[in-house]
Amino acid sequence: MSGRQMSILIGLVVLLAIVSNSIYVVNERERAVLLKFGEVVSTDIQPGLHFKIPVVNDVRRFESRLITLDSSPQRYLTAEKKALIVDSYVKWRVADAGRFYTATGGDEFSANSLLASRVDNGLRNKFGERTVYEVVSGERDVLMAEITKELDDIALNELGIHVLDVRVKGIDLPPEVSNAVYSRMSTEREREARDHRSRGRELAEGIEADADRQKTVIEANAYREAEQIRGEGDAIAAEIYANAYNQDPEFYSFHRSIQAYKSSFAGKDDLLVIDPESDFFRYLKNPDGK
Amino acid sequence: MAWNEPGNNGRDPWGGGNRNDQGPPDLDEVVKKLQQGLNGLFGKSGGGSGGGSDSGDGPGFDFSGKVVGVFALIALIAYGALGLYKVDEQERAVVLRFGQFLETKTPGLRWNAPIIDEVNKVNVTRVRTHTSQGVMLTEDENIVDVTLAVQYVISSPQDFLLNVREPEVTLTHATDSAVRHVVGSAEMTAVISEGREALGVDVQQRLQDYLDNYVAGLRIVKVNLENSQPPSQVQPAFDDVIKAREDEQRLKNQAEAYSNGVIPESRGRAQRVLEEANAYREQVVAQAQGEADRFLKLLAEYRKAPEVTRQRLYIDAVQEVMQRSSKVMVDVDSGSNIMYLPLDRIAGQVAPSIANQNRASASSVQQSAGALTPGDIRGLTDQVIQEIRSRQTNDSQRGSIR
Repeated sequence: MSGRQMSILIGLVVLLAIVSNSIYVVNERERAVLLKFGEVVSTDIQPGLHFKIPVVNDVRRFESRLITLDSSPQRYLTAEKKALIVDSYVKWRVADAGRFYTATGGDEFSANSLLASRVDNGLRNKFGERTVYEVVSGERDVLMAEITKELDDIALNELGIHVLDVRVKGIDLPPEVSNAVYSRMSTEREREARDHRSRGRELAEGIEADADRQKTVIEANAYREAEQIRGEGDAIAAEIYANAYNQDPEFYSFHRSIQAYKSSFAGKDDLLVIDPESDFFRYLKNPDGK
Repeated sequence: MAWNEPGNNGRDPWGGGNRNDQGPPDLDEVVKKLQQGLNGLFGKSGGGSGGGSDSGDGPGFDFSGKVVGVFALIALIAYGALGLYKVDEQERAVVLRFGQFLETKTPGLRWNAPIIDEVNKVNVTRVRTHTSQGVMLTEDENIVDVTLAVQYVISSPQDFLLNVREPEVTLTHATDSAVRHVVGSAEMTAVISEGREALGVDVQQRLQDYLDNYVAGLRIVKVNLENSQPPSQVQPAFDDVIKAREDEQRLKNQAEAYSNGVIPESRGRAQRVLEEANAYREQVVAQAQGEADRFLKLLAEYRKAPEVTRQRLYIDAVQEVMQRSSKVMVDVDSGSNIMYLPLDRIAGQVAPSIANQNRASASSVQQSAGALTPGDIRGLTDQVIQEIRSRQTNDSQRGSIR
């Protein structure tokens, strides 16, 4: 009885072990290859519950999600022999699990290093064919598309990797060149600043000169008008005088002369040397005036 | 070993795996085991395997069947309870069955079989922010320092979880690439000043294209170009440009201030000149009018008695002249020898006293008002004072007589 129970128990344990070794789960994030004594028999096993023969079969799982290869910045020369420091990344995923396993042994790091050297080489060639302007702005998209396609073709065949995208993160100038660029930028700004200040002075001169002109013109016009008015006044006055005095010119000259005498001898400082024989002193000597 | 029950496997309703595990415990122990719950089940299984035969069939068998049933029920309930979970309104739950994608569950109370199913909850409404800062080249080979914030949400939890490893890192890389591409295709002035808004839109567009290409399950809500400025090395030069702009404005303002000061002033002066001219005209005309009227009135009287009037006017005028002026009368007989008259000396001494001059050769005629000498005046005042005193005494005498 006891022996029978034991054997059943052992049998069950063994069965359990066999069953658990026969079942394997491939996650949605993974792809797997099935090996039979080390030989690949089934590639690209989809996610889900799968069966295998214990001992005989072996399962290798690989990351199936998109993987980022972030390579370290490299120094490349452009067509005009200018150095640029380029930082890039690659997006790839395992496309052919069998070939990937064959090529890399399923090791992601070795895959990355293989890919990195190819990307480096590709970028170096592409940059060497182009000018700085072209890689920085003009043909950036074209360059990326070209290198992605070339790399994808090679990697798919050789590594079982699908390269989705190669992107340049940063294109920077080497530090010593950066300093030259900074000083150039500074001088450009100086130029602009000088321009602004000179324009300011130009405007100021113009405005002030205009003001001075207006001032001169206003005053000159005022002078002209004033002289006209004065002349007008003189004319009217002359007319009035003439009208009045023409009535008796002889009396006018008498009257005017008298007034002129009065105003001419106005103070004590005027010294008159008088002859008593004059008409005014007629009665001084003789009351008869004879 | 008393509770061990052998040989009843056939009647056990549960699976074969369970069959061996059951033993027939005593009543007391059954209660204890019940209380111990699941642990007890495993403990018993160990005991069962190690133990051999003991009591025969009987009441123990029935107990064992019930106990197993209860345990199984409890295990089932526990299993079921473990599969329950809550999906928040902000979340979606991605369910994998045996590693394979099954479905994405919406908010509410949800159940999935534990162990078999894997449940990953992802917040899909929260807006996350990624900030990126860097120095980069522009199209005209200048260098700018750009800081930008990317706001994004997880639009597809399935893609976010299953399609891309480290989606946030992917976003970081894609952002760096997109912003450098866009900045590299723009001129520095556009990046620094007016084109910033458009730049943000371009970056957003490009970044979304990249992420869609990667099927990262992320949606860019907004890209804000928080700051774009020249690098610190050239910042002073850029600041100087701003200062220069202000200087330009300042110089212009100063000139306008000068202009505003000068022109109204000159207008004022012009007004004054004109007013003075007008005043002169009025004055001259009025004077002329006045003098003419005076003359005409005089003329009218003159015509009534010409001879007398002329004589009177003449004498009045000469009198006035004589009154105001110093005079030297020279009485020279006609035909006498030449007389020397030191006019320059006379002119110098005219002011002090003209009366003492040249008495010998000339007689001076002075006006009556100015004829008194100091001695005469003293005599006159004495006489006047005496007269007043005598009148006063006469008055007082008269008063006393009364």
